[in-house]
Amino acid sequence: MPAKRIIPCLDVKKGRVVKGVQFKELRDLGSPVELARRYDLEGADELVFLDIAASLENRGTREAWVRDVARELSIPFTVGGGVSSVEDARSLLRSGADKVAVNTAAALRPDLVCELANAFGRQCVVAAVDVKRDADLGWRVYLKGGTEPTERSAIDWLWELNDLGAGEILLTSMDRDGTGDGFDLPLLDLASELPIPLIASGGAGLEIHFLEALEHGADAVLAATLFHEGILPIPRLKTYLAQNDISIRI
Amino acid sequence: MSAGLITLIDYEAGNLASLEGALDRLDLPYVRAASPEQVAQSGPIVLPGVGHFESARRSLQERGWWRLLPELVAEGRPLLGICLGLQLLAEGSEEAPRASGLGLIPGIVRRLGPGVKVPHMGWSQVRQASPHPALPDPEGAWLYFVHSYALEPAAETVYLADHGRPFAAVEARGKVLGFQPHPEKSGPTGLLLLQSTLAWMGATATTPEAPCN
Repeated sequence: MPAKRIIPCLDVKKGRVVKGVQFKELRDLGSPVELARRYDLEGADELVFLDIAASLENRGTREAWVRDVARELSIPFTVGGGVSSVEDARSLLRSGADKVAVNTAAALRPDLVCELANAFGRQCVVAAVDVKRDADLGWRVYLKGGTEPTERSAIDWLWELNDLGAGEILLTSMDRDGTGDGFDLPLLDLASELPIPLIASGGAGLEIHFLEALEHGADAVLAATLFHEGILPIPRLKTYLAQNDISIRI
Repeated sequence: MSAGLITLIDYEAGNLASLEGALDRLDLPYVRAASPEQVAQSGPIVLPGVGHFESARRSLQERGWWRLLPELVAEGRPLLGICLGLQLLAEGSEEAPRASGLGLIPGIVRRLGPGVKVPHMGWSQVRQASPHPALPDPEGAWLYFVHSYALEPAAETVYLADHGRPFAAVEARGKVLGFQPHPEKSGPTGLLLLQSTLAWMGATATTPEAPCN
């Protein structure tokens, strides 16, 4: 079994890392390369960059910062945001991203996952899924940054993504995201039955939350604010997890 | 200068950006060769690779590399395969049962599993299986892997890793070496291994050491 992975998530807008997607005021945290360098030194196992304002116009900007990050970083990274075709993915992978994340476009056209897996291998394809607890479906899948509900049950969709060729699942609990109350553990119990790696996202607030998520089957844990603000430094988190018998790269 | 120049094979099936970044950080000069005419006159050749065995093989064939690489190795040129690059050096792969490999390293590449998550994606520890002049005892160092197939270990395997079963993480035959993990993605440890491997293969840094007085 590979080590459990700690993954900082960075939201990028127009080539800058920003914080506070839900607020009108976006705070500038620095360039993707600066943040990448910092997390590389801190011992992050991997990075995820989500381009929150991806559009045709800023494609050139994105390729440029992806290339810069690839040259600077000595750990793998995923880029997502508006990836809706094999060509979109090709441009990111050619620029040096290790994996691409797809979300809304895959839900609207599931064959995209299959096409990406065939073109680049499934290890390059991260399926990002945003879900919310739901009386009818258990957990319901939401699209477009969590603004648009679908009729899909999250667990059914995860298995479908696996069958389509996703190499990894990035699963965000919208109920927990931003609360700091801990991950949605029953959700992880079910999702970790999948035969592909699972990245848990949404709810990290304390060291113990990471431990719980990993004990409930997650292969990797993702957080943003906690790391960006320096509330929980990655070396401290890793030491804590290692002391609790989690296999971790130190 | 060209004596120690590294040739990076660019056949549109490898993530060259991170490899180039790693070589820059190590101060190792390289050329990116999109066709066999662009190979440096001497020095190590690096065959990266991600994706499917058969499409990578086809891509190498179309560009003339498939025929050239065994010739260069026969002349004594050092060759380093990384990830799928290593798998292509083997005799064949279960990923493409009808397409043979380059056969520069004996053995067959087999699918990982059952009983473990595939692809094997993430950081795993490697251990020494047999000593090699370029590669120190890793003592459980963590390296980054992304793959669904792996070379079966042999007597000459340098480093072993485990994912459901032991497999060859680093394999060597003479001046042909293969890494299943990505040393360019494996933090400072990976960079050191890449550096010592390429130095052993004859690469020389851009800035020569100051001559002795």
